Amino acid sequence: MQTEPYLGEGSGSTSSQNPVSASSILVADCGSTFTKVSLLGLVEGQYRLIARGVSPTTFAAPNEDVTRGIIQAINEIEFITGRRFVADGQIVSPEDPAGDGVDLIVSTLSVGGPMRVVVLGAVSKELETLAAQAVSGLHAETYAIPAPSYRATMMPDALSVVGSGRGPSSPSQPATWTPEQFNTEWQRQIERVRELQPHAALIVGLADSPAGATTLQEACQLVIQAVKVLGQQAKDGQYQLPVLYAGAPQFVEAVRRMLNGYAEVTRVETLLSQEQFAPVSMAASALYERGVIQRVPGFEKLRSWSNAVPVGAASSLSSLVRFLAQHYAMNVTAVDVGSNTTTLMMAGERGEFIPLVKPGIGVGTGLGGILQQVGMGRIARWLPFSISEDELRQFSVTHMLHPQALPTNLRELQILQAFAREAIILARETISEESLGQFEADLVLATGGVLSHAPKFGQAALMLLDALQPRGVTSLVLDRTMLISQLGAVATVAPIAAVQVNENDAVMHRLGTCVVPFGELPQGQTAIRVGVEYSNGRQVTAEVMAGSIEIIPLKLNEQALLTLYPAPTVDVGLGPGERARAAEEIDGGLVGLIIDARGRPLSFPSNEAERQARLLQWMQVIGA
Amino acid sequence: MAYPPGGSVVTQIEVQRERRFAGSQARSIPLVYVGQHVQADQPVIRLATNAGADQAVEAVEAAEAAAPVAPVVVPSGLRGEVIETTSRGGVVIKTRAALLTGSLGAGLQTAGVLSMWQPVHTRPLPLPPGAILVIPGPVSFALLRQAAASGVVGIVASSVELRDLEGFLGLDIFDLLNCIDVDKAQSRLPSMTLLFTEGCGALPMPDATIKLLSRYQGSIALISGVTSLRYALRPELVISPPDEEARLNWHPQPLDDDLRPGFPVRVCCGTHVGVTGVIEHYFVHQQTFLSGVQGQAVRLRLADGTSLIVPIMNCDVRPLA
Repeated sequence: MQTEPYLGEGSGSTSSQNPVSASSILVADCGSTFTKVSLLGLVEGQYRLIARGVSPTTFAAPNEDVTRGIIQAINEIEFITGRRFVADGQIVSPEDPAGDGVDLIVSTLSVGGPMRVVVLGAVSKELETLAAQAVSGLHAETYAIPAPSYRATMMPDALSVVGSGRGPSSPSQPATWTPEQFNTEWQRQIERVRELQPHAALIVGLADSPAGATTLQEACQLVIQAVKVLGQQAKDGQYQLPVLYAGAPQFVEAVRRMLNGYAEVTRVETLLSQEQFAPVSMAASALYERGVIQRVPGFEKLRSWSNAVPVGAASSLSSLVRFLAQHYAMNVTAVDVGSNTTTLMMAGERGEFIPLVKPGIGVGTGLGGILQQVGMGRIARWLPFSISEDELRQFSVTHMLHPQALPTNLRELQILQAFAREAIILARETISEESLGQFEADLVLATGGVLSHAPKFGQAALMLLDALQPRGVTSLVLDRTMLISQLGAVATVAPIAAVQVNENDAVMHRLGTCVVPFGELPQGQTAIRVGVEYSNGRQVTAEVMAGSIEIIPLKLNEQALLTLYPAPTVDVGLGPGERARAAEEIDGGLVGLIIDARGRPLSFPSNEAERQARLLQWMQVIGA
Repeated sequence: MAYPPGGSVVTQIEVQRERRFAGSQARSIPLVYVGQHVQADQPVIRLATNAGADQAVEAVEAAEAAAPVAPVVVPSGLRGEVIETTSRGGVVIKTRAALLTGSLGAGLQTAGVLSMWQPVHTRPLPLPPGAILVIPGPVSFALLRQAAASGVVGIVASSVELRDLEGFLGLDIFDLLNCIDVDKAQSRLPSMTLLFTEGCGALPMPDATIKLLSRYQGSIALISGVTSLRYALRPELVISPPDEEARLNWHPQPLDDDLRPGFPVRVCCGTHVGVTGVIEHYFVHQQTFLSGVQGQAVRLRLADGTSLIVPIMNCDVRPLA
């Protein structure tokens, strides 16, 4: 787990206005499927969300200009408010005395796909993992391609020539590669790079393996070949592949000379451990903005409208999550399930930070990615009805082709919510067990259409509990405004506005406090007894059976004192069987006080009918 | 309110398309020059099959002179003007065309003659080689195989069961939809290009689409089956109309993003998938559907006179019949 906050992720603001002079702010977010524009304004001296518009993102043909979708979304805001914000295809700024126009414009983007980074050189398994972790907070994917000489010396059995009759070598007789094998591997790597069409290359390794500096030389040669081969495929004959050099420091000038005329080389700290994450991540973030975001059609026009350089949505969200953790002095987990990307960010009050952006996993165009990675069984386990693989695959393809479509019946909705659960689980699984085990969320903040716009609050709560499987006591909050991913960017130009909108609107929908006992829950018996003392003195006691969920009424803006009496083998955070009494009152919510005694990890009856009945029971209890 | 992208038909539009032979590492050599007017059946690219893509044109021609091979040429598929030749050996042609965008497809760009085809249960009609077969309904695995074996270069159909499509292509459709190297992935598919106007399932082809395609029966068209979610590409059929129509009867409608009362639409997803109707009313406030989800909605008037309320995001624009 990282203990240092990232510094300067994404570009900073180019201007920061006195919030007193900014009466109105337009915040645009261009996602892969939808473009959302929010109007923030002053209401009784506090910044509030005034209105919101949504439109399909217009980065693809025939529009090929994201600003068109932004204008269309703004048109909705104009209709709602009666104010004019667009004239002759341009945003009117600043706001005039009649209320037309807007003072500030901020934008974030997650359209354009993830940045693909090939990791080259002496890429050991450890370095491959480190490289992936270093860019995990960005909308990026890494692909390791160890240099042929590195593979030959460190992984000699990895390649066998077809028809050579050679089997794996024995440990006592390490294999050496023939020139033919080197050539085969070289051709394979060129083909692999051609297939990946990377946005950037990261060269790593200390050249201290038996292959020495040859690994770095081969990495450079691969970059040169990639630029040539991919240039031939490009319509304009050009292909840019910027290189981040995080390898042995004594060879940086040699690398620059080799790549002179082919690729721009940026030196970063040699990647050896988590301590070098920040510089690698910063450099990769700059490449992401140059190589992906700034190539989004319409970016230049959007840039000319905006008061700060448009940044990636993940960068913006990470700023807010870290702020919330320090502001509320608690561990915060933010979950964003989008159409093609699922983001999970965990921030601790002491500055710990685990960001994870999982491209290709989402409930729109990312459905196929989820299904391929987890399989039908893991989706179907969340459904209170039977479904065939054909139906599930066909549903997925249809929805991927029309990611903007709304589920119009309960069956479709439940299928999408099942996918949402698995998207979050996939993101969690990417984080090491060691990091997860050290981090218990006090507050879970959820955003993304499938969560934020779930028809019932109980559905959102159940998705979060099923997917994140928190333990102990935690609070669930839903961002119905879908603004939290943009507030980090807003804070760069109007920090007070960001704080006020966050507190007044973005985190208003508290679902409730959850108590999740864990350990050995005695089947068929009471797992925990819960005593609730309301502010008006009324007292309620509930006994919650193992394997069940109970909701104790505790409304939004209500508070109560909680006492927990777990069974002898059950833990609520203080040890098995240890009684716990909260020092302060806990908050209620839109669902209530949720006691989730289903056990951790969550398990299902093997009998299909029983599983479906159990799911329906949980859904009914929680109001899903 | 903007309509979401999806399957659509535009009867008159000016487009530019790069004609190239993707999926091959052979050197492509343009046979035409910028400013030249080309016909749909005119070769515009030659493939140098005994030379790599990295060789200069002069070196290729020298090699061919030394060891002549039968030329592989690529016809234009479009009637129009060459406006650019690209570094990768393609030519960009500007044309006035009818454009059909599909929901799902597979296969590389190719040109062929549009041929309407109806299955006859008693005696199957012959499948013309070199044709782009238009099947005004769902297509089966068996028919796909039969068409491919007969030399048909492309199929335009309404829909296909996903199992049949994956069986014919021999791959997981998700890999195809999300692949990075589109050309490479498409080049590994069976050589017949597919375009499904409605997508997966057993959905019929709208009458207006059938009418448009019937009108251009016998015309040469350019079909691409490339469907990529990563690059937001959809399959398309580009048909250059007869010269007289393009010159004298050309009244292109500007692309209109807004769905308004009177617009014909098709429901692309959800409970009423495949239903077509005309927008009768646009609700100002969000409506709640059976799923409990709320969204912007329209009321459609269907052909039988009944009405249906659907989310606007679940609608594709369709041409009037």
